[in-house]
Amino acid sequence: MAEKQPVTNDRDQVHRFNWRLVRRALAILAGAVFVYAGILKVRDPVQFASAINNYQMIPWSVGVRFAFYLPWLEILCGLALIFHRLMAGALAITIGLMLVFVGATLWAKAHGIDVACGCFGSASSNLTLTWHLVLDGCILAALVFLWFTHERPAPAG
Amino acid sequence: MPLSLVRQVLLLLGLAFLPAIGQAVYYRGATSWQHPPVDSAPVSVAQAKDWGDAALWIDARAEEQFAGGHVPGAMLLNEDDWNTLLPKVLAVWSPGRKLVVYCSRQTCNASHEVAERLRNEAGLKNVFVLQGGWEEWQKNNP
Repeated sequence: MAEKQPVTNDRDQVHRFNWRLVRRALAILAGAVFVYAGILKVRDPVQFASAINNYQMIPWSVGVRFAFYLPWLEILCGLALIFHRLMAGALAITIGLMLVFVGATLWAKAHGIDVACGCFGSASSNLTLTWHLVLDGCILAALVFLWFTHERPAPAG
Repeated sequence: MPLSLVRQVLLLLGLAFLPAIGQAVYYRGATSWQHPPVDSAPVSVAQAKDWGDAALWIDARAEEQFAGGHVPGAMLLNEDDWNTLLPKVLAVWSPGRKLVVYCSRQTCNASHEVAERLRNEAGLKNVFVLQGGWEEWQKNNP
Protein backbone atom coordinates (compact mmCIF):
# COMPACT_ATOMS: atom_id res chain seq x y z
CA MET A 1 0.00 0.00 0.00
CA ALA A 2 2.72 2.45 0.97
CA GLU A 3 4.52 1.92 -2.38
CA LYS A 4 1.48 2.96 -4.45
CA GLN A 5 1.01 6.37 -2.81
CA PRO A 6 3.78 8.33 -4.69
CA VAL A 7 2.51 7.10 -8.09
CA THR A 8 -0.97 8.51 -7.41
CA ASN A 9 0.50 11.84 -6.30
CA ASP A 10 2.63 12.09 -9.44
CA ARG A 11 -0.43 11.49 -11.59
CA ASP A 12 -2.34 14.15 -9.70
CA GLN A 13 0.49 16.61 -10.15
CA VAL A 14 0.69 15.94 -13.88
CA HIS A 15 -3.11 16.24 -14.11
CA ARG A 16 -3.10 19.57 -12.22
CA PHE A 17 -0.14 20.86 -14.26
CA ASN A 18 -1.86 20.10 -17.56
CA TRP A 19 -5.05 21.88 -16.51
CA ARG A 20 -3.05 24.89 -15.40
CA LEU A 21 -1.33 24.90 -18.79
CA VAL A 22 -4.67 24.69 -20.60
CA ARG A 23 -6.05 27.56 -18.53
CA ARG A 24 -2.99 29.73 -19.22
CA ALA A 25 -3.09 28.94 -22.94
CA LEU A 26 -6.81 29.75 -23.13
CA ALA A 27 -6.34 32.99 -21.19
CA ILE A 28 -3.50 34.09 -23.49
CA LEU A 29 -5.50 33.15 -26.59
CA ALA A 30 -8.68 34.91 -25.43
CA GLY A 31 -6.63 37.90 -24.29
CA ALA A 32 -4.87 38.12 -27.66
CA VAL A 33 -8.23 38.09 -29.46
CA PHE A 34 -9.46 41.01 -27.35
CA VAL A 35 -6.21 42.96 -27.81
CA TYR A 36 -6.32 42.35 -31.59
CA ALA A 37 -10.00 43.34 -31.82
CA GLY A 38 -9.40 46.40 -29.68
CA ILE A 39 -6.39 47.62 -31.70
CA LEU A 40 -8.30 47.27 -34.99
CA LYS A 41 -11.13 49.38 -33.58
CA VAL A 42 -8.87 51.94 -31.90
CA ARG A 43 -7.32 52.65 -35.31
CA ASP A 44 -10.70 53.76 -36.68
CA PRO A 45 -13.17 54.65 -33.90
CA VAL A 46 -15.51 56.46 -36.31
CA GLN A 47 -15.95 53.31 -38.36
CA PHE A 48 -16.66 51.37 -35.17
CA ALA A 49 -19.21 54.05 -34.25
CA SER A 50 -20.87 53.45 -37.63
CA ALA A 51 -20.90 49.70 -36.93
CA ILE A 52 -22.60 50.34 -33.56
CA ASN A 53 -25.02 52.74 -35.24
CA ASN A 54 -26.00 50.03 -37.74
CA TYR A 55 -27.53 48.02 -34.88
CA GLN A 56 -30.05 50.86 -34.36
CA MET A 57 -30.16 50.18 -30.62
CA ILE A 58 -28.72 53.39 -29.22
CA PRO A 59 -28.50 56.95 -30.59
CA TRP A 60 -25.35 58.01 -32.44
CA SER A 61 -24.37 60.46 -29.67
CA VAL A 62 -24.13 57.53 -27.22
CA GLY A 63 -22.71 55.00 -29.70
CA VAL A 64 -19.85 57.24 -30.78
CA ARG A 65 -18.76 57.63 -27.14
CA PHE A 66 -18.88 53.86 -26.67
CA ALA A 67 -16.81 53.56 -29.85
CA PHE A 68 -14.01 55.54 -28.25
CA TYR A 69 -14.21 53.73 -24.91
CA LEU A 70 -14.92 50.03 -25.62
CA PRO A 71 -11.80 49.29 -27.73
CA TRP A 72 -9.53 50.52 -24.92
CA LEU A 73 -11.49 48.45 -22.42
CA GLU A 74 -11.03 45.41 -24.68
CA ILE A 75 -7.28 46.02 -24.96
CA LEU A 76 -6.90 46.51 -21.22
CA CYS A 77 -8.90 43.37 -20.36
CA GLY A 78 -7.03 41.41 -23.04
CA LEU A 79 -3.68 42.42 -21.54
CA ALA A 80 -4.98 41.50 -18.07
CA LEU A 81 -5.87 38.01 -19.35
CA ILE A 82 -2.51 37.59 -21.12
CA PHE A 83 -0.40 38.71 -18.15
CA HIS A 84 -2.65 37.08 -15.56
CA ARG A 85 -3.33 40.31 -13.66
CA LEU A 86 -6.77 41.39 -12.36
CA MET A 87 -8.04 38.12 -13.84
CA ALA A 88 -11.42 38.04 -12.11
CA GLY A 89 -12.23 41.61 -13.13
CA ALA A 90 -11.05 41.07 -16.70
CA LEU A 91 -13.08 37.85 -16.99
CA ALA A 92 -16.22 39.48 -15.56
CA ILE A 93 -15.96 42.40 -18.01
CA THR A 94 -15.10 40.32 -21.08
CA ILE A 95 -17.91 37.84 -20.37
CA GLY A 96 -20.27 40.80 -19.99
CA LEU A 97 -19.03 42.32 -23.25
CA MET A 98 -19.44 39.04 -25.12
CA LEU A 99 -23.01 38.61 -23.81
CA VAL A 100 -23.82 42.15 -24.95
CA PHE A 101 -22.23 41.53 -28.40
CA VAL A 102 -24.09 38.24 -28.93
CA GLY A 103 -27.35 39.71 -27.57
CA ALA A 104 -27.09 42.76 -29.84
CA THR A 105 -26.42 40.57 -32.88
CA LEU A 106 -29.40 38.32 -32.18
CA TRP A 107 -31.58 41.36 -31.45
CA ALA A 108 -30.60 42.95 -34.76
CA LYS A 109 -31.27 39.71 -36.61
CA ALA A 110 -34.67 39.31 -34.92
CA HIS A 111 -35.59 42.85 -36.01
CA GLY A 112 -34.53 42.21 -39.60
CA ILE A 113 -31.49 44.47 -39.39
CA ASP A 114 -28.65 43.13 -41.52
CA VAL A 115 -25.44 44.26 -39.85
CA ALA A 116 -21.71 43.88 -40.28
CA CYS A 117 -20.64 42.84 -36.78
CA GLY A 118 -17.77 45.30 -36.46
CA CYS A 119 -16.08 42.97 -33.96
CA PHE A 120 -12.72 43.18 -35.71
CA GLY A 121 -13.09 46.57 -37.38
CA SER A 122 -12.98 46.46 -41.17
CA ALA A 123 -11.35 42.99 -40.98
CA SER A 124 -14.75 41.54 -40.08
CA SER A 125 -16.65 43.22 -42.92
CA ASN A 126 -17.22 39.94 -44.72
CA LEU A 127 -17.96 37.83 -41.64
CA THR A 128 -21.35 36.15 -41.98
CA LEU A 129 -23.79 36.05 -39.08
CA THR A 130 -23.18 32.33 -38.55
CA TRP A 131 -19.40 32.72 -38.36
CA HIS A 132 -19.83 35.77 -36.18
CA LEU A 133 -21.90 33.75 -33.70
CA VAL A 134 -19.59 30.71 -33.86
CA LEU A 135 -16.57 32.91 -33.12
CA ASP A 136 -18.36 34.71 -30.28
CA GLY A 137 -19.59 31.38 -28.90
CA CYS A 138 -16.05 29.92 -28.82
CA ILE A 139 -14.62 32.99 -27.08
CA LEU A 140 -17.50 33.06 -24.60
CA ALA A 141 -17.07 29.33 -23.84
CA ALA A 142 -13.35 29.83 -23.16
CA LEU A 143 -14.05 32.81 -20.89
CA VAL A 144 -16.77 30.98 -18.94
CA PHE A 145 -14.42 28.00 -18.51
CA LEU A 146 -11.72 30.33 -17.17
CA TRP A 147 -14.26 32.03 -14.90
CA PHE A 148 -15.19 28.75 -13.21
CA THR A 149 -11.62 27.46 -12.91
CA HIS A 150 -9.46 30.47 -12.03
CA GLU A 151 -8.36 31.28 -8.48
CA ARG A 152 -10.90 33.69 -6.98
CA PRO A 153 -9.85 36.90 -5.25
CA ALA A 154 -10.75 37.43 -1.60
CA PRO A 155 -14.11 39.16 -1.05
CA ALA A 156 -14.11 42.89 -0.29
CA GLY A 157 -13.70 44.09 3.28
CA MET B 1 -3.40 40.61 -1.19
CA PRO B 2 -5.55 40.30 -4.31
CA LEU B 3 -8.19 42.96 -5.00
CA SER B 4 -11.84 41.96 -4.72
CA LEU B 5 -13.81 41.29 -7.88
CA VAL B 6 -15.72 44.58 -7.67
CA ARG B 7 -12.52 46.58 -7.18
CA GLN B 8 -10.84 44.83 -10.10
CA VAL B 9 -13.82 45.58 -12.36
CA LEU B 10 -13.93 49.24 -11.28
CA LEU B 11 -10.17 49.58 -11.73
CA LEU B 12 -10.27 48.21 -15.29
CA LEU B 13 -13.34 50.27 -16.21
CA GLY B 14 -11.66 53.38 -14.85
CA LEU B 15 -8.27 52.78 -16.45
CA ALA B 16 -9.86 52.38 -19.89
CA PHE B 17 -11.25 55.91 -19.62
CA LEU B 18 -7.79 57.48 -19.67
CA PRO B 19 -6.68 56.55 -23.22
CA ALA B 20 -10.29 56.83 -24.44
CA ILE B 21 -10.54 60.44 -23.28
CA GLY B 22 -7.14 61.19 -24.81
CA GLN B 23 -8.20 59.75 -28.15
CA ALA B 24 -11.57 61.54 -28.03
CA VAL B 25 -9.78 64.85 -27.48
CA TYR B 26 -7.49 64.06 -30.43
CA TYR B 27 -10.54 63.29 -32.64
CA ARG B 28 -12.78 66.09 -31.28
CA GLY B 29 -12.78 68.05 -34.53
CA ALA B 30 -12.70 65.06 -36.86
CA THR B 31 -15.96 63.39 -35.93
CA SER B 32 -19.54 64.37 -35.36
CA TRP B 33 -20.62 63.76 -31.76
CA GLN B 34 -24.34 64.40 -32.25
CA HIS B 35 -25.22 63.09 -35.72
CA PRO B 36 -23.82 60.26 -37.87
CA PRO B 37 -21.71 61.31 -40.87
CA VAL B 38 -23.54 61.57 -44.18
CA ASP B 39 -23.28 58.23 -45.96
CA SER B 40 -23.58 57.51 -49.67
CA ALA B 41 -27.17 57.04 -50.72
CA PRO B 42 -28.26 53.42 -51.10
CA VAL B 43 -29.71 52.27 -54.41
CA SER B 44 -31.56 49.08 -55.34
CA VAL B 45 -30.51 46.79 -58.20
CA ALA B 46 -33.67 47.61 -60.17
CA GLN B 47 -33.20 51.36 -59.79
CA ALA B 48 -29.51 51.25 -60.73
CA LYS B 49 -30.28 49.12 -63.80
CA ASP B 50 -32.87 51.69 -64.89
CA TRP B 51 -30.10 54.29 -65.06
CA GLY B 52 -28.53 52.31 -67.93
CA ASP B 53 -25.39 53.92 -69.33
CA ALA B 54 -25.75 56.86 -66.94
CA ALA B 55 -24.45 54.54 -64.22
CA LEU B 56 -20.82 53.53 -63.88
CA TRP B 57 -20.58 50.33 -61.85
CA ILE B 58 -17.70 50.06 -59.38
CA ASP B 59 -16.71 46.67 -57.93
CA ALA B 60 -15.12 47.21 -54.51
CA ARG B 61 -14.26 43.53 -53.91
CA ALA B 62 -10.89 41.82 -54.17
CA GLU B 63 -9.42 41.24 -57.64
CA GLU B 64 -9.96 37.45 -57.41
CA GLN B 65 -13.65 37.92 -56.64
CA PHE B 66 -13.96 40.41 -59.49
CA ALA B 67 -12.33 37.90 -61.84
CA GLY B 68 -14.83 35.27 -60.69
CA GLY B 69 -17.76 37.35 -61.92
CA HIS B 70 -18.98 40.93 -61.83
CA VAL B 71 -21.70 43.26 -63.07
CA PRO B 72 -21.29 43.71 -66.85
CA GLY B 73 -19.22 46.81 -67.55
CA ALA B 74 -18.17 47.20 -63.91
CA MET B 75 -14.72 48.54 -63.09
CA LEU B 76 -12.56 47.17 -60.31
CA LEU B 77 -11.74 49.70 -57.58
CA ASN B 78 -10.74 48.40 -54.17
CA GLU B 79 -8.68 49.87 -51.36
CA ASP B 80 -5.82 47.38 -51.88
CA ASP B 81 -4.90 48.88 -55.28
CA TRP B 82 -6.55 52.26 -54.86
CA ASN B 83 -3.75 54.35 -56.38
CA THR B 84 -3.46 52.11 -59.46
CA LEU B 85 -7.17 51.61 -60.08
CA LEU B 86 -8.58 55.08 -59.37
CA PRO B 87 -7.02 56.74 -62.47
CA LYS B 88 -8.60 54.05 -64.67
CA VAL B 89 -12.03 54.81 -63.18
CA LEU B 90 -11.56 58.55 -63.53
CA ALA B 91 -10.57 58.07 -67.18
CA VAL B 92 -13.94 56.45 -67.92
CA TRP B 93 -16.09 58.61 -65.64
CA SER B 94 -17.69 61.77 -66.98
CA PRO B 95 -19.52 64.56 -65.11
CA GLY B 96 -23.14 63.75 -64.45
CA ARG B 97 -22.54 60.02 -64.54
CA LYS B 98 -23.66 58.17 -61.42
CA LEU B 99 -21.27 55.82 -59.62
CA VAL B 100 -22.82 52.63 -58.20
CA VAL B 101 -20.43 50.90 -55.81
CA TYR B 102 -20.97 47.33 -54.65
CA CYS B 103 -19.23 44.63 -52.63
CA SER B 104 -20.11 41.02 -51.81
CA ARG B 105 -23.31 41.36 -49.85
CA GLN B 106 -25.44 43.66 -47.73
CA THR B 107 -23.26 43.26 -44.63
CA CYS B 108 -19.90 44.05 -46.24
CA ASN B 109 -18.35 47.48 -45.70
CA ALA B 110 -16.00 47.71 -48.70
CA SER B 111 -18.58 49.48 -50.87
CA HIS B 112 -19.20 52.11 -48.18
CA GLU B 113 -15.48 52.68 -47.70
CA VAL B 114 -14.79 52.98 -51.44
CA ALA B 115 -17.82 55.26 -51.89
CA GLU B 116 -16.63 57.47 -49.06
CA ARG B 117 -13.15 57.76 -50.57
CA LEU B 118 -14.61 58.54 -53.99
CA ARG B 119 -16.55 61.42 -52.44
CA ASN B 120 -13.85 62.70 -50.09
CA GLU B 121 -10.61 62.03 -51.96
CA ALA B 122 -11.67 62.08 -55.60
CA GLY B 123 -14.29 64.79 -54.97
CA LEU B 124 -17.00 62.95 -56.93
CA LYS B 125 -20.72 63.52 -56.41
CA ASN B 126 -23.57 61.11 -57.19
CA VAL B 127 -21.93 58.14 -55.51
CA PHE B 128 -24.36 55.37 -54.56
CA VAL B 129 -23.98 52.08 -52.71
CA LEU B 130 -25.79 49.06 -54.16
CA GLN B 131 -28.15 47.48 -51.62
CA GLY B 132 -27.40 43.78 -51.19
CA GLY B 133 -24.22 44.01 -53.28
CA TRP B 134 -23.12 41.34 -55.75
CA GLU B 135 -25.29 38.74 -53.97
CA GLU B 136 -28.43 40.79 -54.68
CA TRP B 137 -27.36 41.42 -58.27
CA GLN B 138 -27.04 37.66 -58.86
CA LYS B 139 -30.50 37.04 -57.39
CA ASN B 140 -31.97 39.57 -59.80
CA ASN B 141 -29.92 38.38 -62.78
CA PRO B 142 -29.81 34.57 -62.60
